[in-house]
Amino acid sequence: MPDLLKKKNLDILEKEFGTINKLSEQIISGDIRTLSRCITLSESSREDHQIFARAVLGKILPKTGNSLRIGISGPPGVGKSTFIETLGLYLLKKNKKIAVLAVDPSSAKSGGSILGDKTRMEKLSQSEKVFIRPSPAGTTLGGVGRHTREALLLCEAAGYDTIFVETVGVGQSESAVSNIIDIFYLLISPGGGDELQGIKRGIVELADLIIINKADGSLKKDAENIARDYSSAVKLLRPRFNNWVTKVLTCSALENTGIDKIWNSTEEFFQKFNKEREILNYRKDQYRKWLREEIIQNLNKQIYSSTKINGLIEFYENKVLVGDILPSDAAYEIVNNFLKK
Amino acid sequence: MSGISKKLFEEWRELARKELKGKSLDNHFWNTPEEIKVMPLYTEEDLSALSEQKESLPGLEPFLRGPRATMYTNKPWTIRQYAGFSTAEESNEFYKKCLENGQTGLSVAFDLATHRGYDSDHPRVLGDVGKAGVAIDTVEDMKILFNEIPLDKMSVSMTMNGAVLPVLAGYIVAAEEQGVAQQNLSGTIQNDILKEFMVRNTYIYPPGQSMRIVSDIIAYTSKNMPLYNSISISGYHMQEAGATLTQELAYTLADGIEYVRAALSAGLEIDEFAPRLSFFFCTGMNFFMEVAKLRAARFIWAKLMKQFNPKDSRSLSLRTHCQTSGVSLTSQDPHNNIIRTAYEALAAVLGGTQSLHTNAFDEALALPSKLSSRIARNTQLILSEETGVTNVIDPLAGSYYVESLTKQVIDKTLSLIEEVEEMGGMTKAVSEGFTKMRIEESAAKKQARVDKGEEVIVGVNKYVNSNLNDKIELLEVDNEKVIKEQIKKLSKIKKERNNQKVAVSIDQLRKGANGKGNLLELSIEAIRARATVGEVSAAIEDIFSRHKAVSKSITGVYGAAFSEDKMYSETQKKVNEFANREGRQPRILVAKLGQDGHDRGAKIIATAFADIGFDVDVGPLFATPEETSKQAIENDVHVVGISSQAAGHKTLVPELIKSLKKNGGEKVIVVVGGIVPPGDIDDLKNSGVSAIFGPGTPIIDSANQVIDILLDKN
Ligand code: B12
Ligand SMILES: Nc1nc2c(ncn2[C@@H]2O[C@H](COP(=O)(O)OP(=O)(O)OP(=O)(O)O)[C@@H](O)[C@H]2O)c(=O)[nH]1
Ligand SMILES: [Mg+2]
Repeated sequence: MPDLLKKKNLDILEKEFGTINKLSEQIISGDIRTLSRCITLSESSREDHQIFARAVLGKILPKTGNSLRIGISGPPGVGKSTFIETLGLYLLKKNKKIAVLAVDPSSAKSGGSILGDKTRMEKLSQSEKVFIRPSPAGTTLGGVGRHTREALLLCEAAGYDTIFVETVGVGQSESAVSNIIDIFYLLISPGGGDELQGIKRGIVELADLIIINKADGSLKKDAENIARDYSSAVKLLRPRFNNWVTKVLTCSALENTGIDKIWNSTEEFFQKFNKEREILNYRKDQYRKWLREEIIQNLNKQIYSSTKINGLIEFYENKVLVGDILPSDAAYEIVNNFLKK
Repeated sequence: MSGISKKLFEEWRELARKELKGKSLDNHFWNTPEEIKVMPLYTEEDLSALSEQKESLPGLEPFLRGPRATMYTNKPWTIRQYAGFSTAEESNEFYKKCLENGQTGLSVAFDLATHRGYDSDHPRVLGDVGKAGVAIDTVEDMKILFNEIPLDKMSVSMTMNGAVLPVLAGYIVAAEEQGVAQQNLSGTIQNDILKEFMVRNTYIYPPGQSMRIVSDIIAYTSKNMPLYNSISISGYHMQEAGATLTQELAYTLADGIEYVRAALSAGLEIDEFAPRLSFFFCTGMNFFMEVAKLRAARFIWAKLMKQFNPKDSRSLSLRTHCQTSGVSLTSQDPHNNIIRTAYEALAAVLGGTQSLHTNAFDEALALPSKLSSRIARNTQLILSEETGVTNVIDPLAGSYYVESLTKQVIDKTLSLIEEVEEMGGMTKAVSEGFTKMRIEESAAKKQARVDKGEEVIVGVNKYVNSNLNDKIELLEVDNEKVIKEQIKKLSKIKKERNNQKVAVSIDQLRKGANGKGNLLELSIEAIRARATVGEVSAAIEDIFSRHKAVSKSITGVYGAAFSEDKMYSETQKKVNEFANREGRQPRILVAKLGQDGHDRGAKIIATAFADIGFDVDVGPLFATPEETSKQAIENDVHVVGISSQAAGHKTLVPELIKSLKKNGGEKVIVVVGGIVPPGDIDDLKNSGVSAIFGPGTPIIDSANQVIDILLDKN
């Protein structure tokens, strides 16, 4: 891997951040500072940073794969942060080490963004055994998927055994995330009326557990009604796994009720799949997809960063616009030309 | 138009146009932040539709012209200066001096540890004890605080909301042991929890449970303390947090209605408690609108209270305390603040306030010194005794401008109240953060106007005098010394009291919180047994839990105001240069340390820095230095920006830097903004702080400096 970097560049980076060997050792020893810096490197828009981060990643790869990877999504204000805090505190009692990776798609614009106010888990974040990292989604293509996956692997190597990946259930980041995690929670809350409508069907299809949060106080009855609606609705959906029927559960993150049921179901999920080794197969599928995505992204980048090709594109674009050639034929020519170089 | 003919008016317009050299008169309309269009000239015509206002008299419904028939002609307003610092001993000494010198009422400022229900020995309050108010841990402290102050004669106002139960109980028991019975106590407890969730941030328990406490206090005092104001429904803090005057008024009156509902549903009759509700407003620099606001407040309250069908007309009348605006005061050329405060005081008095606090000229530097508090007090004495303003009731009534402004404020306010009511009332609007966001948006707009120089602040963005060298002596509190003394007193009491009795009363309190009993009554028992403020608060916390705020940030408001500003786009360019070089935006953690709940500055920095191009992590309120350093490291920020208002910086910032170093964050830049007295600057710099930004620093300047430091370093 490092041969993608010129020796000189590698030296500079190793001088600034530490050697690849040292970095990977420190991550594996659980050093938080190193973990967080390596996540930064993998999120960087600088290619040398990315390659460097991948070199570290390559080293720590054998130490990955040992966590429960849990995706959490749901509309704004449903209680995701509160839920992770409550569940997290519950898991701390079970001696888990927890990492929370939060992707904020509202920041998907160039320039700055406000992070972390949406992922506030005050009590949880105080624990030594918890690592919380909010990240801007950024503008790069496939950013969410790749960055979060790399961060997740780094956290695994650092010894976190339960990893939550939080996204807001409004955009496309969910399907990207579903390619990273093992089990997907969809959080929904009562109130507001047409609950089923607000959430895209595609996201519901991704869910392994549908959790109706805020089942407390005056909302309790509503929560149970919605749970019933969803229970019948999910029967019509295609489940993600043949042997797992999407479960619908209620809880109150605020009052800490229903959390154990959710964790029991989660354990049941993992037991089942570990027994049938499906998790491993599933993760293999994810890696296949990952490989193919990366191929496309790689090509994409290389094509568009070649000045020669950009010239060609301009040349053919003009022809296309005056009707001299079909776009598809033009594309064929351009790609051929690129491959010949 | 009865007075002025159309012809005459046209003649004036023509003349005006000439003087304006052809420019339209419309350019001279003033669009206020309340979105009220103020005209250059008002005439009798503007009064024609205002019969209700014209027919109003003081002391009579709808109280537009004042809650009492005689107002200041009989008794001037109460001069009530808000004060408290260090220990009860020192504050008591200070109060007695003030009373000797013409002050007529007391108003206690507690420190932030007390506000948040912690005893002085709690590890989370290391930087806060005695710093921004007086430290009170037990009833013994309370007794010292009021030593030689006769509580049957002196009306005492206490700003306490979070830890209202043990503190009010402490006051009641202190009086009792001074020989004054409850029914003879007069004064006010703030007890306004809704605005805490919105802007003041010294809540302890979640909103629902907190409202129960409010009702319990109203119930207890209306039965046992007939002269005591059970609540002071406060808009002051909203304006200080950035609200426009109509937002301040609307949300305050809507809060009031919410408390009335809570008391009614707790089983009280409207006339049992409504006459003892009191209000608290801010008086800022928009002179005439402040006068109009107070008149409008009384008018609207009378209207709103009608829905509850009171028989006693006092239930309809709004009585208020006012405080001049602290946020209008500057650290630059601070003597200017004396002048600002005097104008604001005049506005409050012309608006008919019942009592008044005037701020000290060192407001933006530290707690008031002896000198500055003397001048602040004298500002009122001179106004009251030398100018003749007390001789005529509501002297601006009938002014074309003030009357029509009053009407416009009424209309705007009513529509804002309606918006909140439609959401389901204030508890809901507050829980969902709606009103807070609205206020933060106003604050961001205001910051942009000031930073662009559209709103002039003399000495800050116009007529700046950069080489002033006035020596100003500031009050300094040595919190380590205060902590030591408090701990000594605490351990003495804990040794001497009957611990068995304390445990029983604390247990009763827990049971009461779980069930029905009146929590003030139960707290009085516990305090009598010498339970501490922290113990009482913790017992209730066991049942109610501690509230965790959910904060949402706005974006885009600040940046939008600068779309064509050169300096702004140059700063953005530098930010992008950095981003290209580093592979990511500069990332800053804007953090608050300790119990300091001033979040206006931090919020505004966060939103503006994000607009400029920083990735901004917003730290939670009430963090310890270690927690902040953990967040900084996990999020791998380039900069930690501490916003410090409540004087905890000297203790907490060096702790933060130590913790960062310990955890591998030695390269993280630390900057500090807020109230840092000049004498502390070197200390902070020596401990490793890279830059310090005081009040009034244009945000672009601070952003520029931060990015320069980053560019330089890397
Ligand atoms: C507004 C205000 C309030 C509001 C706060 C509303 C809110 N949600 O923030 C209210 C009315 C609620 C309030 C209450 C109290 N207040 Co107050 N308050 C002020 C006041 C008047 C203005 C602060 C402000 O918001 N300014 C506007 C903002 C935009 O400016 P700023 O914060 O200074 O930020 C600017 C710069 O400093 C800099 N900056 C600030 N932070 C950062 C961070 C970074 C990273 C950067 C780059 C720059 C930067 O950039 C900003 C833009 O220019 C100050 C006095 C003053 N004039 O400064 C007193 C003051 C801070 N309050 C004080 C006190 C004592 C209190 C109380 C504790 C009183 C009491 N005992 O009950 C309470 C409790 C509040 C609490 N929970 O902590 C004291 C503190 C004394 C001290 N330091 O020694 C002060 C100094 C007044 C005084 N002289 O007595 N207060
Ligand atoms: N009644 C009730 N309220 C809850 C519950 N969980 C969360 N809330 C409240 O819902 C609001 C939003 O909670 P968050 O945890 O910030 O929700 P979120 O989904 O993370 O929100 P975003 O990050 O903004 O998308 C807060 O006021 C919480 O107190 C619950 O179980 N019951
Ligand atoms: Mg969240």
